[in-house]
Amino acid sequence: MSIKPSEISDLIKQRIERFQSAAEARNIGIVVSVTDGICRIHGLADVRYGEMIEFPGSLFGLALNLEQDSVGAVVLGDYKSIKEGDTVKTTGRILEVPVGPELLGRVVDGLGAPIDGKGPLNAKATSPIERVAPGVIYRKSVSQPVQTGYKALDAMVPIGRGQRELIIGDRQTGKTALAIDTIINQKSSGIKCIYVAIGQKQSSIANVVRKLEEHGAMTHTIVVAASASTPPSLQYLSAYAGVTMGEYFMDIGEDALIIYDDLSKQAVAYRQIALLLRRPPGREAFPGDVFYLHSRLLERSARVNEEYVEQASKGRVKGRTGSLTGLPIIETQAGDVTAFVPTNVISITDGQIFLESDLFNAGIRPAMNAGISVSRVGGAAQTDIIKRLGGGIRLSLAQYRELAAFSQFASDLDDATRRQLERGQRVTEVMKQRQYAPMSVAEMALSIYAVNNGYMDKVDRKKVVEFETALQNFARASHRAALDAINAEPTLKKHEAALKKICDDFQSTGAY
Amino acid sequence: MAELATTARPYARAAFASAGAASQLVEWGTFLGRAAALVQDPQVVPLIGNPRVPPPALVDFLLELATAGKASAPQATQQRNFLQLLADNRRLRLLPEIAAQFEMLRAEAERVADVDVVSAQELTGEQSKKLQAVLERRLGLAVRLHPQVDKSLVGGAIVRYRDFVVDGSLRGRIERLGAAMSGA
Repeated sequence: MSIKPSEISDLIKQRIERFQSAAEARNIGIVVSVTDGICRIHGLADVRYGEMIEFPGSLFGLALNLEQDSVGAVVLGDYKSIKEGDTVKTTGRILEVPVGPELLGRVVDGLGAPIDGKGPLNAKATSPIERVAPGVIYRKSVSQPVQTGYKALDAMVPIGRGQRELIIGDRQTGKTALAIDTIINQKSSGIKCIYVAIGQKQSSIANVVRKLEEHGAMTHTIVVAASASTPPSLQYLSAYAGVTMGEYFMDIGEDALIIYDDLSKQAVAYRQIALLLRRPPGREAFPGDVFYLHSRLLERSARVNEEYVEQASKGRVKGRTGSLTGLPIIETQAGDVTAFVPTNVISITDGQIFLESDLFNAGIRPAMNAGISVSRVGGAAQTDIIKRLGGGIRLSLAQYRELAAFSQFASDLDDATRRQLERGQRVTEVMKQRQYAPMSVAEMALSIYAVNNGYMDKVDRKKVVEFETALQNFARASHRAALDAINAEPTLKKHEAALKKICDDFQSTGAY
Repeated sequence: MAELATTARPYARAAFASAGAASQLVEWGTFLGRAAALVQDPQVVPLIGNPRVPPPALVDFLLELATAGKASAPQATQQRNFLQLLADNRRLRLLPEIAAQFEMLRAEAERVADVDVVSAQELTGEQSKKLQAVLERRLGLAVRLHPQVDKSLVGGAIVRYRDFVVDGSLRGRIERLGAAMSGA
């Protein structure tokens, strides 16, 4: 990045104009001890909880423990330059991050500073990172869908705008893949996405950003990166920074989607801070307020009504609702969902998507366990066509699971049972989907319609995926108009005949 | 440091209450000040906690010196008990912190603020009068100025009352300008 000399003098002029040289009255304290990013400070009698405090060398901290004779603070940044006896000043401000459309397409750290080498953000607004979630009066029930582009999800665990749906599973079960595909699928939906990477490897974050760029999804996405090498204070705060950036879009009547990848690591970072601050450890050594840590974060995901948007945007936006959909991710250890943090987040969210290693290794991807994955509010937001067709899927899979275990002991089965088993197997096959291949509503409807109505019953089980691909290609090639019509108005009643015609036509080609 | 303050607080409060009840704040103040200086004295430090010095003897010794030979004064019994209590609890080393907190409590009771003023040049009589008036209005307390001179401030002054600091020095302003220019 090069700047012309004239720009430099302009910059200096601006800085000088903004500089206030009046004597400042401040509260000061003295650093007593520094331990792993935590400072104990003597003095600072008037500091407030959560206030930003200033260390020498333009380094900032956050006052988190106010005790009788000392203040415990986390340092936001490199704490190695802080020495015992350093003077600390209060600032009277609480932590703010830049917000606005300027952040789209950028990668920022936990405090909103750009780290992608694309120059300054030039964001026009900032917003405090801790804010109270919209109240009950301003909320609206979830009624519009977020299309993830996955058949299995959109049919069985639909997500609505403003909903909080947990993605939970062991390591290497495709949690991040699910989230990334959801972002990629928002290219045309107008939903702005925020991906908060907490405690991940820098290489994984770089991979995600590259994949998003490859699929043209960075233009509507903000990546907040607090990698494993950043101090725990930033890993803990990055989730709040991300939700603040998302709230900006909700407040101006737009729809946003935020992914926290993952909240287990955020809780671990918070645990480290809490233990170093000498707060009493509780279950699994987490502090007492780890539930509140996640509940206050996830409560900020909401669908708000027109009145709220009008107030929040100071009257600029009228007659529009806003939403912030939350997709927290939790990593379990050996499938243990009864651990402390998983149970907490399960109870906070409006449903969960369970991903299982067994399914993943059996080649079922997304490795979703359809039996225990639920969406408590998404049904109201599902498109009519998928809702009607998806009911059959759930039923077939439920019956299949029941029979599959039972039938292992039976040698010969009656016709009805066998039919159900075979249907179940085919539905399971159809629910498989490759990564980076999101489907439109019409494509999903076509696949589901075909399997529900027995078009695949005659196809060999191993060839179902192949059959489905061929069917989709056929439909795209010769029934484009019908698919577009479904996408424009996704109701089953109107388009059932069209779906039937596509399937019949395909069958009559005799390919399968 | 912070922990010392916490442990010293109940002792300072007790001494203050006891002195207040007997209206002997000044006497207790000098007593605690001397005792604090004593326990920091390099010759006295090795005696504290020394197994060869019996605690009663140490207390007698400290009392004698801290009361400047007036160990028969009416408040001396209480002062002896106070020192004895500290010795029993092995907290004689807290005396400097106790004395400091005692002075703070006394200043609060007398509605006096001890304000440190660090200036680049020595304050003129008129300057300190003006400063005192301004500070008295701001703090709502009678102000005792403790002026100091520090040439490295270049110009202006820094006013400090406990944790409250007003930095009006040229050095501080230059530092702030530096921070503003570097965009922090």
